[in-house]
Amino acid sequence: MKFKTFAAFVGPSVFMMLLFIAAPLISVFIQSFQITQPVMQQIEVETCTPGFLTQTCTTEVKTVPIIDEVTGKTQTTTAWVGFQSYQNVLQMDKFWEAIGSGQWRDILQIDFWKALRFTLMFTLVTLPLVIGVGLMIALAVNNAAKSLRGPVIFVSLLPFIITPVIGSLSIYWLFVGDGILTATLERWTGQDIAMFAQAWTIELLMYFYRVWHVAPFAFVIFYAGLQTVNMDTLESAIIDGASRFERLRYVIVPHLMPLIIFIALIHLMDCYRVFDEIIGFRSQAHVISLQWLTFDFLTPDDAGNRAISRAAASAMLTMVGIVVLLILPLRRTWRDHKGGAH
Amino acid sequence: MYLKKLALAGAVSLLGTSAFAACSYENTVPLKSLTAGFEAWKAVTDAMAECGNFQAELDQEFRTKQPAAFEANPSLYHIGGVSNGTITPLLNAGTIRPLDDLVAKYGANLQPNQLIKVDGKTMAIAMMVNTQHLMYRSDILADLGIDTPTSWDEVFAAADVIAKAGVVDYPIGATMKSGWNLAQEFVNMYPGFGGTFFNADNTTAVNSEAGMNALATMQKTLAYTDPEVLVSDSTYVQQQFQQGKIAMANLWASRAGAMNDESESSVVGKVAMAGAPVAVEGGAPATTLWWDGIVIAANITDEEADAAFRLAMEGLDEDMVTANNEAAIWLINGYVPGDLAKGAIETATASPSAPPYPSTTQMGLLHTALGNELPAFLTGERDAAATLQAIEEAYTTSAKEAGVL
Amino acid sequence: MSKATAQPLSLKIASGTFLAFWCLIAAFPIVWIAVMSVKSPRDAFAASAWDVITGPATRAAGNGLSLLDIVIGLVVLYFAIRWAFTRLPGLVQQYSPSGFIVLGWLVGAAVYGLIFVLIFFGVLPYVSGALNSIAGPLGTPILGLTTEHYVAVWGENQFYRNFMNSMIVTAGVVTVSLTVGTLAGYGLARSGSDLAFWLLIVALVFRALPHSVLVAGYLPWFINSAEILRPILGDLSPTLYGQPWAIIAVLVAINQPFTIWMLRSFFQNIPAELDEAARVDGCSHFQAFRRVIMPVMWPGVITTGLFSFLLGYNDFLVTALLLDAQNQTMVPAIAGYFNRETTTTDQVEAVAAAVSITAPLFLLVMVFQRQIVSGLTAGAVKG
Repeated sequence: MKFKTFAAFVGPSVFMMLLFIAAPLISVFIQSFQITQPVMQQIEVETCTPGFLTQTCTTEVKTVPIIDEVTGKTQTTTAWVGFQSYQNVLQMDKFWEAIGSGQWRDILQIDFWKALRFTLMFTLVTLPLVIGVGLMIALAVNNAAKSLRGPVIFVSLLPFIITPVIGSLSIYWLFVGDGILTATLERWTGQDIAMFAQAWTIELLMYFYRVWHVAPFAFVIFYAGLQTVNMDTLESAIIDGASRFERLRYVIVPHLMPLIIFIALIHLMDCYRVFDEIIGFRSQAHVISLQWLTFDFLTPDDAGNRAISRAAASAMLTMVGIVVLLILPLRRTWRDHKGGAH
Repeated sequence: MYLKKLALAGAVSLLGTSAFAACSYENTVPLKSLTAGFEAWKAVTDAMAECGNFQAELDQEFRTKQPAAFEANPSLYHIGGVSNGTITPLLNAGTIRPLDDLVAKYGANLQPNQLIKVDGKTMAIAMMVNTQHLMYRSDILADLGIDTPTSWDEVFAAADVIAKAGVVDYPIGATMKSGWNLAQEFVNMYPGFGGTFFNADNTTAVNSEAGMNALATMQKTLAYTDPEVLVSDSTYVQQQFQQGKIAMANLWASRAGAMNDESESSVVGKVAMAGAPVAVEGGAPATTLWWDGIVIAANITDEEADAAFRLAMEGLDEDMVTANNEAAIWLINGYVPGDLAKGAIETATASPSAPPYPSTTQMGLLHTALGNELPAFLTGERDAAATLQAIEEAYTTSAKEAGVL
Repeated sequence: MSKATAQPLSLKIASGTFLAFWCLIAAFPIVWIAVMSVKSPRDAFAASAWDVITGPATRAAGNGLSLLDIVIGLVVLYFAIRWAFTRLPGLVQQYSPSGFIVLGWLVGAAVYGLIFVLIFFGVLPYVSGALNSIAGPLGTPILGLTTEHYVAVWGENQFYRNFMNSMIVTAGVVTVSLTVGTLAGYGLARSGSDLAFWLLIVALVFRALPHSVLVAGYLPWFINSAEILRPILGDLSPTLYGQPWAIIAVLVAINQPFTIWMLRSFFQNIPAELDEAARVDGCSHFQAFRRVIMPVMWPGVITTGLFSFLLGYNDFLVTALLLDAQNQTMVPAIAGYFNRETTTTDQVEAVAAAVSITAPLFLLVMVFQRQIVSGLTAGAVKG
């Protein structure tokens, strides 16, 4: 294909990605090395606010930004600060201090490392679970009677299609306070159970929710893959006397391997930016994730302040993490590309 | 069933249009407003909408959108809803206009204490106050022979008795959801122990005796609350009250009405309100005072501003208050405080009085720092001294970034 | 199935049990919020599961179903479902113009859903109400159930507006995303150049970006776009904030990486000889694409389209921040019930809204279930 034709085909798509993803990305990259702040002045201000029935007036010195006479906007200065924002996020001094004194657990007091710990664990724990559960459902459905398959596939897909915000809330309600599942568990065990009172139970629920939500996606893709298993190979394996497990191990799984890698790729990316669960399960007090950290920096407080530079730095660090994670599965794609180029 | 009641009220007032005109004039200038989404704002914007040509936006993201939308030229909204916290970015950026001449023209019915003045210029019109107050199960306290607690020590003593009697799941409910809510609890408690938030050079002063006391009191509360208190916001505490699971809570005044809602509550008529407890004897109630009100954008024409202010006055009139008397502690003429408002008024008129929530840039930064660093203390990962240290460090980092240090 | 592949009973039972267990886990939370949505607030958040199901407070308030109601309801439900599987496909085949069978199914499903709602909630209550009054003990309510929250959500709170906005945004996202994505996917599949490969890798990295970063970056530009574009476009310059088409563009861009990856692998499985033969006959690349590829690409496009649909329909971060109240879609509207000062009633209404928003997804999966599997089988995911 000539370059011109190629450009015509991919042009619109590339243009949209450049405009809406690459451009913000570059600006985020630049912002992570800059700090923009308003020029502040201290003035004495008298402020009157209502009590009930009477008014209280106080005079105090306030620090407020200077407003430019010409443009009517606040004056700001922008300074290049190198890796200052990265340092503010990573807090390497505290990190080394904790390592030096042997207090490893202190590292997890620093927000970034705490978030990284959870994000990595969340990604790596749910990955095999999603693939395993997805594969098991696919095999079981493939095994079921033809008339049952339709309804079963339908029910299995529900957790995947349901709006994530609503899915996580529906599970949150089952467990929060005296939610009916907690109440049932309490009756069984005879103990007072509070699922949202300590970190490990919340984490467990988050793992469960993610597997519940994503396993159907893995399932439907594996199920599609199972439809194309080469029956000849399978039958010759049977003739060779391969057991059921051996057939799974040596015929079916290798056949599904590209799909497993595809799922792993998608899952790594989606899990590494885990966010919905933190909000849905209100776990901020106990566990936080990298994207939540970025989101938190970006959320303005009542006074309108947002830590843009630190948000940019933490976003770039998240990016670096994801690229590192993706290198392994992508080497295969590179080999395929080199081998199977048209 | 607030929404329903409101819709009904809206319908009734619409019906009224033909009979005795709910709005005294017809608005011809297209106007838009951006406010928070709670019941009082719905009442006010519904009243404004009766005059026509008005679009109200009640948005839960208004904190993010408002500063940017008012800075656009022309401003995307004419009327804004603010509180003493959220007015700060608008004041700082100069995107709201002084209202003195408009008050002179249309504000004949305003009370003097509704005018929010900054340096002598009226910048906003307050419509209601909000604060925390003590809500308690009067039946339980009466059964156990406990007087209404007026200080936190008394609250804990009462909680001991209630816990021993075993009449409810948890004696105390608290809005300690990590983040904004939890930080607000500290912001309430800390001045109660006589603490000031900032030094003269804008560094924070929370790492102090009063800070330690505030943290100790918060930790003491945990012994009496639901173990899941770090996920409970005010809606959840309100629900626990309604289900009869808790006996006392220092909760927002705007939450009082729901206790007597038959369709939701199983404790109708059993919940009473008192002033917010004090932290130390003879001190101010351990809470902060809030107001909500309207502002008018600077980046619009004078004609639009004129129309917007006139419309706002129509929304903040006596008819609206009479129709929605229970929706808030109104500052507007015609408000008749009911039983449910007793506690809030007691808090607001206490002497020495509780401080208003400070509307400064630094306070916003400190509030965020508190919200992020306090959970580690309450989960037991960090002791009080280290937590105050961490709050100070987090504040210093962000204050440097924001240019206030 | 040949004898050699026949399974021992134990394996069959194990696999059947596992499947049943999975279906229970998959459906339970969703069924449960559906149950909550038809109870009074006190019942919906009751601690005992039995109270939530039977709804004593709801029944006490005079809203309930008698045994007779339940029987009639189940019978109507049975026939409705049966009809959907036996007669509906035939009708759709018959009335949809050839080549537009997908559209026919969408219209058919929507009409069917509408008629079902009308009969079940419009006609049935009157019929059973009349029967209850003469049925004696069979006619006394035993199960608390109320539709007041649905009435409140769709009537008083005008949820249909959010529904329309959601439909506009989703339809836009699916159409634009597929148009742009099919072209790019085809181009990438047929080009073996390193540029194509690196484009794909960069797209993958783009997909990994945390959305909150992108979205927060858009806000100031969107709000000030009229001012920024004025020197170029003059008075025509639009304010992007709050515009559904601007949201569509953003969501399409965010969705592009996934779309082009899916479609590329799909096109790779269409033999290149097909379009090469057309090229030999004197077609340009575009003509070959239109005449040869388009007729055979639909299974893959439908599957990819479904993923685009889910993204547009379920999005929260982008729509919550960049749309104003007039153009608000359903998901942020529901989240709004929780974030503002809410009451327990508001929460149950939010649950009712949440169930309502799930219904179209149900219909969609029912209609396209077979296409999803066959589209995936046809190779949209071969690596």
